Amino acid sequence: MFFVCRSFIIFNIELKIINRETTLLDIRYRGGSSISLHCLQLHLLSRMISNTATCDGSLTSSDFHMAANAFADKWKKFNSDFPEWLWIDCSNRLGFAAHGVSDGYLSVQKVFFQTSLKEEHGECSSNDCEEPFDDATLSSGDDGHWYDFHLVYSSSYRVPVLYFHAYSSDGQPLNKDEIEKSLSTESVNVLKESKWTFITQEEHPYLNRPWYTLHPCGTSEWMKLLLAGENRTTENRMEQYLISWFSVVGQVFGMRLPHEMLKSAC
Amino acid sequence: MASDASRKVVVHLRATGDAPILKQAKFKIAGTDKFSKVIDFLCRQIHRETVFVYVNTAFSPTPDELVNDLYHNFGIDGKLVVNYACSMAWG
Repeated sequence: MFFVCRSFIIFNIELKIINRETTLLDIRYRGGSSISLHCLQLHLLSRMISNTATCDGSLTSSDFHMAANAFADKWKKFNSDFPEWLWIDCSNRLGFAAHGVSDGYLSVQKVFFQTSLKEEHGECSSNDCEEPFDDATLSSGDDGHWYDFHLVYSSSYRVPVLYFHAYSSDGQPLNKDEIEKSLSTESVNVLKESKWTFITQEEHPYLNRPWYTLHPCGTSEWMKLLLAGENRTTENRMEQYLISWFSVVGQVFGMRLPHEMLKSAC
Repeated sequence: MASDASRKVVVHLRATGDAPILKQAKFKIAGTDKFSKVIDFLCRQIHRETVFVYVNTAFSPTPDELVNDLYHNFGIDGKLVVNYACSMAWG
């Protein structure tokens, strides 16, 4: 038991070195079991492959932090009438402090969506439409839903995952059926037609409460397409990662990114 | 300005990955149409219920976007290049 723990710690130390340094040849391997050596070799191999390939559609957790900052900044600059995205730092979480990497997620709260029925009939006043996040809309009754969105990094899939929590004006959480009903017709079609596209309820990795999430199993596949631009540096690509990513997942809720923001991703 | 808005936009549909190639890849569409019309057309052509479309290998436009807006912001050489793939949608 002791042996396994020890090799695990050494493995973690090595991973940190890999993340920090670009050259792979300098990494020394200090003792440990053959299991961790094997793991390290595998990791080195995958790292080398991903370095030589243009991009495999995934990102590392430190890349995610960088991408999240870039995304939040651009959002604030170009989408100022929308609530701000904030980085929630969780690096002091028990058991994670030792990693030394900043751990956390991006959060936006109280995003208001008019129920689509009302929008179609054009009944909302121009004031309501332009400023859907005005506190005054709270009193307008049960004609919309509020959403909290969290962008969380999934270390299993190495991609960002959208977690969300939806509630009505009186604070009552919405169940899956109610959420699906309030989505745009396009999103409902995609849910119906695409076999691997679904909303699931999972434990929020930081809050440990059940949240709804879009399953990330297909994410790296389509992100690979979006990041395929040839004349881009890796750093530039990582900065644009979340903008490209959000242009796809935001569609589920009919959220559109401003053109200026998308242009900066081209 | 009015004539500019009503002008037709040339859309170039480019297949990526295992997506089937269209016999006619370029076609014209009214700039005042929504992007969903392009998606619907594409789905019919390649006999798929869903398709993943993206512009400038950078982002995926929402279906309610106007073709004109996309063309003016992201058009290259007088046409709007739309890539498509049969990969999974979001999720």
